[in-house]
Amino acid sequence: MNILIAAFGFGLVSASVIALAAVGFTMQFGITNMINLAYGEVMIASAYVAYYIDERGVSIWIAMLVGAVFGAVFSFLINRLIYSPFQRKGTSQLGMVIVSLAVSLMIANIMLPIVSYFPVSYRERFSNLLRFGDIALTVNQIAIIALAIAIMAVIHALLRYTRLGKAMRATAANPSLARNCGIPTQRVIDAVWTITGALCGLAGVVAALDSDSFTISSGAGFLITALAAAVLGGAGQPYGAMIGAVVIGLITELSAAIWSPDYKQVVAFAILVLVMVLRPQGLLAKRGAAAAAG
Amino acid sequence: MNTYYAANLLIFAGVDVIACIALNLQFGVSGIVNFAFIVFQAAGAYAAAVLSMPPDTSPDYSFQIYVGGLNLPFPLPWIGGAVAGALLAVPVGLVVLRNLRSDYQAIALLVTSIIANTVINNARPWLNGAAGLALVPQPLQDQIDPSTDSYFYFYIGLTAICVALVWFIAARIVNSPFGRTLRAMRDQELVATALGKNPVALKMTMFVVGGAIAGLSGAILVGFLTVWAPSTWLYPETIILFAAVIVGGRGNNLGAVLGALLVPVGFEEVTRLLGRLDIGPPNFIPAMEWVLIGLCILGFLWFRPEGVRPEARRIVPEGFESGVRVVGDLD
Repeated sequence: MNILIAAFGFGLVSASVIALAAVGFTMQFGITNMINLAYGEVMIASAYVAYYIDERGVSIWIAMLVGAVFGAVFSFLINRLIYSPFQRKGTSQLGMVIVSLAVSLMIANIMLPIVSYFPVSYRERFSNLLRFGDIALTVNQIAIIALAIAIMAVIHALLRYTRLGKAMRATAANPSLARNCGIPTQRVIDAVWTITGALCGLAGVVAALDSDSFTISSGAGFLITALAAAVLGGAGQPYGAMIGAVVIGLITELSAAIWSPDYKQVVAFAILVLVMVLRPQGLLAKRGAAAAAG
Repeated sequence: MNTYYAANLLIFAGVDVIACIALNLQFGVSGIVNFAFIVFQAAGAYAAAVLSMPPDTSPDYSFQIYVGGLNLPFPLPWIGGAVAGALLAVPVGLVVLRNLRSDYQAIALLVTSIIANTVINNARPWLNGAAGLALVPQPLQDQIDPSTDSYFYFYIGLTAICVALVWFIAARIVNSPFGRTLRAMRDQELVATALGKNPVALKMTMFVVGGAIAGLSGAILVGFLTVWAPSTWLYPETIILFAAVIVGGRGNNLGAVLGALLVPVGFEEVTRLLGRLDIGPPNFIPAMEWVLIGLCILGFLWFRPEGVRPEARRIVPEGFESGVRVVGDLD
């Protein structure tokens, strides 16, 4: 049983990493109606930005902050320069999926000559081990969990108690009604891309820190787990994504302990398929993946 | 300009044309955004390979291990490849096409593509994992020596026959009442449903037909290359084919052929030429090509979403109530 309890500890760490990524992803979809397949590539780009800063001898936590700022600026620009014009032009949902996949491909290949194929890792990936019974976690891992909990609390407060959060929820529910009520939806959407972009960048650095080493091709894996958590919770639902992240994080780590770590993503995928077959609207969603009437 | 080079070019062009026609049937005509397309090509290639290879009698530590090894004579592996593509389309289609919104279908298929590659890459016992299969027998290699020029001509001929066959089938589908139903579904799914058409059954049919054609294209490819590995069917390969269909003109088979010649074949040739130059860091040129493919997709979706050869507008003939079809749903 020991190995399962230990895996539970790792599961909490994974859940924290996935939650950071999935909440940003699902908010982009819920509020701006954009399935952003370039999310994983923005994560990995931010992770590399943090890597270059970390390499200079700066603390990883400051590098993480810079990674988050980079993710925010980058996501804002992608939306302003590419997604938003296409959406204004009336490109369909499906067309936007193709656009975001093309953007993802471009980001990955613009980065490739700069960063090359070799795996890299942060200087501070090792830290002291702390034990709680059978659970053994490093200081970094505990910091990741604490960070994720803090960020989730901030997101909750933002959506629940601020004017911006209310405006976001209004825009998500009905953009034209929100605009007619005097909510500056364009500015709200800019704010959404900046905030979710910061989450995306932060998640990228955290995921890279948690996975010891990373390469340019890690982006697809990041995207899949975030997607699985978001769809499981009900796409567009930040709280659903948090629950989805916990479920996926725990199940993948337990399966890795029992079976093989090579298949973590496959297990996440199996959960995704099960959700799509059995409950396409996700755990919490009012809409979600189920086919609309039209 | 030797025969080997010409054969390479023509056979790759043939395979890309076949794949683009299949993708056009799914994406252009029926509106299914099959981001897992390359998986069906891979299924055909693996099936054709293990059907034509001799039984695997070597011990597990040898350089390759695989299932099957039926040693079947020539046309059977290719047919098997097409069947494998069709068979794989059934479970994938049943999960993805039934009750998901169309944008979810697209991402579910993309994820399927990434995961299928991960699984085959990590699981060595079935198809030799990351190293892939090698020494796949070439069609009729015991009758014609594969290293001769005449074998190249023979293989080009075989590919051409398949292209013609696929073109014929695709044209029949597109021009038939069934094709009209597919376009109606693509443009106005709700209306088609209200008229008693079953969109899930229609999409499933096209998913299986496209899967079979994709499988055939994989079989042709593996018979010529004699090797097949997970690194040859990563998901960006599907994006190239999408770029081809979007550039050529979706919904139009001729457009798909044109797109296949412009994008995958054209880019292949450009790499070959540019590869001789020595610009920038290593893998700079191939990476910039991918960026160009992305720009191609964005540029065409922005400036000319209907592609170089737009789909013909089909006007209801005189005598019927005159009405103009709603054209295009992606722009």
